[in-house]
Amino acid sequence: MKGSPFNTMTKALVLLIVALLACAVPLAAHHSFAAEYDASKPVDVTGTLKRVEWTNPHIWFYLDVKDDKGNVTTWGFSAAPPGVLMRRGIPKDVLKIGAMIHVQGFRARDGSNNASGGTVTFPDGRTVFTASAEDAVPQSERK
Amino acid sequence: MRRVTRILFVTSLAVASFGSGSLILSQARQGQTPARTAPRMPDGKPDFSGFWSKPTQPGARGAATVFTKSKMAPFVPGGEALFYEPRTGDPAHDEPRAFCKPSGFPSGFFGPYPVQIVQSKDYLVMVTEFQRITRLIPLNGRPHQKGIEPTYYGDSVAHWEGDTLVIDSTSFKRWSLDDYYYIDATQYRMHSDAFHTIERLRFTDGNTIAYQLTIDDPKIFTKPWSEDFEMTFHPEWAQAGLYEFVCEENNRCAGGNCKN
Repeated sequence: MKGSPFNTMTKALVLLIVALLACAVPLAAHHSFAAEYDASKPVDVTGTLKRVEWTNPHIWFYLDVKDDKGNVTTWGFSAAPPGVLMRRGIPKDVLKIGAMIHVQGFRARDGSNNASGGTVTFPDGRTVFTASAEDAVPQSERK
Repeated sequence: MRRVTRILFVTSLAVASFGSGSLILSQARQGQTPARTAPRMPDGKPDFSGFWSKPTQPGARGAATVFTKSKMAPFVPGGEALFYEPRTGDPAHDEPRAFCKPSGFPSGFFGPYPVQIVQSKDYLVMVTEFQRITRLIPLNGRPHQKGIEPTYYGDSVAHWEGDTLVIDSTSFKRWSLDDYYYIDATQYRMHSDAFHTIERLRFTDGNTIAYQLTIDDPKIFTKPWSEDFEMTFHPEWAQAGLYEFVCEENNRCAGGNCKN
């Protein structure tokens, strides 16, 4: 009883954390999203978490994504600044190397395999967060 | 299982803090901040030292504070063209911060990051985590420096009007006024090199600073105009302090060109 549910919960937790990191992008970016990413080029990949750069101005995490033929491509995803995450109680070590995660985002303007984080979906298909341009719009502008 | 449940609960709170639940969480946090009497310096002046949220319209949500259009004064002839600057598609022009260029005042203090105030008899030091911007504001009532070059953050001086601290800033470069691109990605809102600001800070209670910002930009607006914001006390941020923010550390995709 102890082992299996705990592992499932742990996996869910890791995915939830990654969702946090991904969805934080439009809300805590140090620059305009449009300056670096192309909203017309969505990225949708599932892969193994390979590396994390816990650095300013945004953390980066990298996924090894395997295609049908077994070829591996590494994708980089930009997320929130480390300080923003740590203030919310999310330390570096919540990102477990080797975890399988599904990330959707928007590709870098140079067309490389780099993207902003966007939507993260659990293996069961449940979407935990849907980032959109509207999420970045402060509600304070009262026209 | 109990531990995991607790972790998930904490995590779900964190989720709320990123999205639509941010207001709820901040209210909850506010509720947990014990009421206190507004502190005073030994000379009796209000003491604003501590960790504060960025200036925010009362009750507003969102990552960045942006000015409310209806608060603005009418434009002078040609002012609108100076105020709105269309984006060109060149990231170096459209978003200098993507290249770690300065945010400027007030924009740099309007992002979703803590502000720390350190106050002595002679100075008020205002630091924001974002870009670790530091404003050193003399409190001795001295006049502005003369003949200085314009800067991103201006030259600030201050004086007391009763319990209200009045900060007057001049000598700005023309630069972006706020993060208007969240509203309209096609253009910026800029201030001119005649930009002049007046900030008025006073406690409304021990955990709240009423922060009024007056924008005086005679090359753009026919008269000065003001907007009222609030800064909220966050003692829980004191333990970790401001986190480092060195933009040049790993700015991998500056302008959309990623380095590996």
